[in-house]
Amino acid sequence: MIELYHVWKRYQKTHWALSDVNLSVKKGEFCFITGPSGSGKTTLLKILYREVIPTEGQIIIGGKNIQRIPDHKIYTIRRQMGIVFQDFRLLFHKRVLDNVSIALRVLKTPARDMKRKTFIALRLVNLHHKIWDYPSQLSYGEQQRVAIARAVVNNPRILLADEPTGNLDPELAHEIFGLFREINKEGTTVIICTHDKELIRRFGGRVLFLHEGKLSEKDSS
Amino acid sequence: MILQRTKYFLREALDSLWHFKTRHFFSLTIICLSFVIIGVFLAMSNNLRFKARELTKNLTVVFYLGKDVPASRRDLIEDEIRRSPLVSSVRALSPEEASAKFIEDFPELKDIVLNLNANPFPASIEASLNNTGILTEKIFQFIAEVKKNPGIEDVEFNRDWAEKIGSLGRLAEAIGFFLGGILVLASFFIISNVIKLNVLARQSEIEILRLVGATNAFIRIPFLLEGAMLGIAGSVLSLFIVFLLIKLFPLYLGTSLGALREIVGFRYLTLVQIFGILFGGGSVGLMGSLSSLARFLRI
Repeated sequence: MIELYHVWKRYQKTHWALSDVNLSVKKGEFCFITGPSGSGKTTLLKILYREVIPTEGQIIIGGKNIQRIPDHKIYTIRRQMGIVFQDFRLLFHKRVLDNVSIALRVLKTPARDMKRKTFIALRLVNLHHKIWDYPSQLSYGEQQRVAIARAVVNNPRILLADEPTGNLDPELAHEIFGLFREINKEGTTVIICTHDKELIRRFGGRVLFLHEGKLSEKDSS
Repeated sequence: MILQRTKYFLREALDSLWHFKTRHFFSLTIICLSFVIIGVFLAMSNNLRFKARELTKNLTVVFYLGKDVPASRRDLIEDEIRRSPLVSSVRALSPEEASAKFIEDFPELKDIVLNLNANPFPASIEASLNNTGILTEKIFQFIAEVKKNPGIEDVEFNRDWAEKIGSLGRLAEAIGFFLGGILVLASFFIISNVIKLNVLARQSEIEILRLVGATNAFIRIPFLLEGAMLGIAGSVLSLFIVFLLIKLFPLYLGTSLGALREIVGFRYLTLVQIFGILFGGGSVGLMGSLSSLARFLRI
């Protein structure tokens, strides 16, 4: 599903964010990438959705070398992914419905399907009753659930989450990780960047550890 | 599906127009002003050219006679003019008739004329020419022949006027395009900068769209529509203002124009010019957006 071969990323002349990263994630896997701040977790995720181009190395997703995809076609890769951020990245001037359905709108989904799929995604995160609310009317936890609904509404093959619970209290964080587990059970490959060791321990799964740009595998226990 | 997308793009563009209404108001004003200037000069040019065409349709040569020309000589000259194959009709005007005609044409100047001690208007013979594509050269030959008669002091040929008015019309058009052109260029840069500000203000939205897999076109179209809408709205407004000016200006001037009212006939723009202005507005808006997106929207 996802393969990285000898991936290096240098930001300045001497600062290597990633050093010779090799990784293989199978379809339907549930993975954590952990490590201290500045260890390269976000860079690794950005490389996966091609927000950042590696200095060296190859990235194969679904059998395609994503570096060979021209810039104007990069949307073909991103449509297979759902991305969740620590800061939610919601549109505060749009309703919950529009925030979630935006991911379907870009796919030219017919209006009726769009409403149905949006409702299903919001029901998954238990926010279907807040469809007409604005994000500012929701709590942080609810806002993150809207962001998750947006990430999964088009049934992506891969779900990437960058510190999705960084702004939430432990109870909400547990709830959000539970959602990721449910989504994973449907067959979606889930990769979560977090440094919350307690949650990793509770939810299990494959754990990859990044330290100073070097990736190593850890036992979740 | 196309309808659904179009609706979405239009709604996004309108939302943005409303959201950043202050800056859009300023760009709308400058676009409108540019096209008002072009429109006013085009209307002036239309009126002058129309008058020039009217004059060409009724070619007349007026021979002004000296004050002491006897009636017998005047009759001889009139006969000679009448015999020319170029002439369709002849009308002789005595100084009194000329004075009465002037007062009729310019009633507001009546007092000045009446207060003069002597009648300043000379006697004249007005020859209407056949309007069947006569060459100007032939007319000048005819004028030269008639002018040889003693007693003729001056000659006025209205094709000269037609040509002068026509040139004035072309000049008005050129001035309009020059001044309007400068302002249109300014509008282009203003729209470009307004769209740049909008792009920067909506950076997070663009970012989200990119991450959910929107194509370049999907992200750019609302911005392009926004620019085009601004341009079209500005040009529509300018057409309305030009219309009002044409309707209200004669009222403001009242009757003081007299016969001049006929010369500056206050005709509106032609259909081609109206569509030209609308197309121009839309294009300026679209090009302004395009230039801005090309520089500031890296997707």
